[in-house]
Amino acid sequence: MNENDTPTIEQQRATIAELETPVIQVWEGVLALPLIGSLDTARAQNMNERLLERIVETGSEIVILDITGVPVVDTAVARHLLETVSAARLLGAEVLLVGLGSRTAMTLVQLGLDLQGVTTRITMAKGLELAFQKLGLEVTSKTTRAVDGTEG
Amino acid sequence: MLTSAIIKVRDTLIVSVQEDLGDEDALDLQAALTQQLERTPVNGVLIDLSLVHVIDSFLGRTLNDLAVGVRLLGARAVVVGMQPAVAITLVELGLELRRIQTALTVERGLDLLARSTNHRL
Repeated sequence: MNENDTPTIEQQRATIAELETPVIQVWEGVLALPLIGSLDTARAQNMNERLLERIVETGSEIVILDITGVPVVDTAVARHLLETVSAARLLGAEVLLVGLGSRTAMTLVQLGLDLQGVTTRITMAKGLELAFQKLGLEVTSKTTRAVDGTEG
Repeated sequence: MLTSAIIKVRDTLIVSVQEDLGDEDALDLQAALTQQLERTPVNGVLIDLSLVHVIDSFLGRTLNDLAVGVRLLGARAVVVGMQPAVAITLVELGLELRRIQTALTVERGLDLLARSTNHRL
């Protein structure tokens, strides 16, 4: 590696840091955080800070943390996730953990981590459904309603 | 001398915790709040931490004790307005305040108290 490479690497590192933890507002009061790739301590801290700031900024009550894209959930990753859940709760927001695969779920059980006190759902869609339910919202299909109307 | 304000609004005591709360101040606040609860029983206590930017283990524990004490005196405690940095510090200290209810803003905290007292009646 020559000396000219260093700024580029720094730049790329910064870009990756920005890309890796997007916090998306999917609805008023609902934030989504799709995690992709492995979660180390530095990344978890970065994610935590950004998430908490966004919760305060947007006044969101619910955060859907999607770990579909996290290949391996070991004790360290689980601890980071639990820290995120606790910190968000202290601000007054609830974290729904979604996208646990069957392998992840069984790994966690075998590690003795039952994630007590954390609400989990299998997919992002199920998580969003629960979020709407908690906010007292309902999603109905226009077509179904029309059919019901003609029949009833 | 008490440095934080305790304001009674109808059935709720609102505690606005001041910036840079020292150990002594925290203990004074704890005593003042529990005494006030003894004199004027209310259903809810709202602890507003929006001015608090720095927290240590002592303050964290005092806060926890305060909330548990409030519950023993028959009221509900809700902590509101916590700063992100404070939340991260508390979690890193292992003080997750699991037994305390939280809300983002004073308004939401009041809603939460109203809802929980309605359920109880």
